[in-house]
Amino acid sequence: MLDWNIIIHYFPFLLKGALLTLQIAILSLVLGLAFGLGAALCKLTRNPFLRWPAIFYVWLVRSTPLLVQLFIIYFGFPQMGIDLGPFWSGVLGLALNVGAYNAETIRGGIVSVPAGQTEGARSLGMSGALTMRRIILPQALRIIIPPLGNNFIILIKDTSLVSTITLVELTLTAQRFIGSTYKPFEMYLMAAALYAVMTSTASLLLSWLEKRTRNEAR
Amino acid sequence: MESQAQSSTNTPMLKIDNLHKSFGKLAVLNGVNLEVEQSQVLVIIGPSGSGKSTLLRCVNHLEAPTDGEIYLEGQLINDKNKNHQAFEKHINHVRCKMGMVFQQFNLFPHMTVLENVMEAPVHVLKKEKSIARDIARSLLDKVGLLEKTEAYPLMLSGGQQQRVAIARALAMEPNVMLFDEVTSALDPELVGDVLRVMEDLARDGMTMLVVTHEMGFAEKVGDRVIFMADGVVVEDAPPKEMFSNPKEIRTKQFLAEILQ
Repeated sequence: MLDWNIIIHYFPFLLKGALLTLQIAILSLVLGLAFGLGAALCKLTRNPFLRWPAIFYVWLVRSTPLLVQLFIIYFGFPQMGIDLGPFWSGVLGLALNVGAYNAETIRGGIVSVPAGQTEGARSLGMSGALTMRRIILPQALRIIIPPLGNNFIILIKDTSLVSTITLVELTLTAQRFIGSTYKPFEMYLMAAALYAVMTSTASLLLSWLEKRTRNEAR
Repeated sequence: MESQAQSSTNTPMLKIDNLHKSFGKLAVLNGVNLEVEQSQVLVIIGPSGSGKSTLLRCVNHLEAPTDGEIYLEGQLINDKNKNHQAFEKHINHVRCKMGMVFQQFNLFPHMTVLENVMEAPVHVLKKEKSIARDIARSLLDKVGLLEKTEAYPLMLSGGQQQRVAIARALAMEPNVMLFDEVTSALDPELVGDVLRVMEDLARDGMTMLVVTHEMGFAEKVGDRVIFMADGVVVEDAPPKEMFSNPKEIRTKQFLAEILQ
């Protein structure tokens, strides 16, 4: 059966690991949102110098495993003189990854706003940027939020992969204590429970946000 | 270059010179020439596919003309000599002086009626919010919708939405109004309210280009009617003449079909 003494004793240490996980997830979330919005807007412009790099970025990320992307940034970049250290390598890798998926989500939302909205705004003398900011994005947001939330929940779970680049977050914390306790079941169960708490909280926050934007737009 | 004709008193409000527009291989406009004087109400009729809507959309550059020139008060609208950035600035400025009303209203569903009307004056013309609100309220009063200021567009009937759209365009204090089949998507009993607003506008001296199938409106409010077919102006006459004594055979056929 479960060794509850082990669980009670080690829980605070895992909680500390979970805090680092949360920190990495939130930073990657914010950066990933910026990357996603940037790439989505670039993909939608006619300017080939913005469009093609954005298309290439999304393609590259979506066609390679996240683990390999993290290894390239953490182990490969220093060879080119870019040494970000484990923390920022992890954050950047995760942010670039979720950013590519966000880009597709955001682009889809923007495209789904009827063309008449752009025409209505432009006919009033509004610039392209103003139209995007005031008219298109607020309407796209309603469509974007649910799938974007999905991306973020996947992101929280994907943070476990940064354990492979020496970041002592939740998963690696659990792994380390297995070495000294020989209790893998307890350790991984605790880790799983803490991941579940984080993803479920995120889920609740998102459905609240979804409801709020729906009420606002009527 | 831009100033050459602006000061002249004889400059027409709108001048269209040899306008061509093609979508790929499909030629929609094949050399339209047109002058519209200040305060004139020009009604554009013709079968579907004749290029009426495309003509309006070229005037405020929602469609870029393939060839030809369009001048607003002597100022060239589709100026090909400007670089991309300068042209964007120029076209936004031009559009501030031209109101457009669409068949599908194109109101902003995430804003209230009042916010719809205030949006461009505040964010494009940089008007004070309180001033923009006063203007918006008086325009909504003018179109008979003052009690709907806090409603969202989708809560309104089509006719009410279209009147909000007219108020929204008027809030920019345009010199020309473009109406693109604005009653075609409305239930018949709602058409009258919209036409009445347009009639008031014409009486106040607004220069108007009106694409419509409402022949009654054309006859009553129009100063001039043009009949378009195959991307050219086939006939250009005062409404009485156009409807009672059309000269061109294609005009006769079209009117016979539509008025039977």
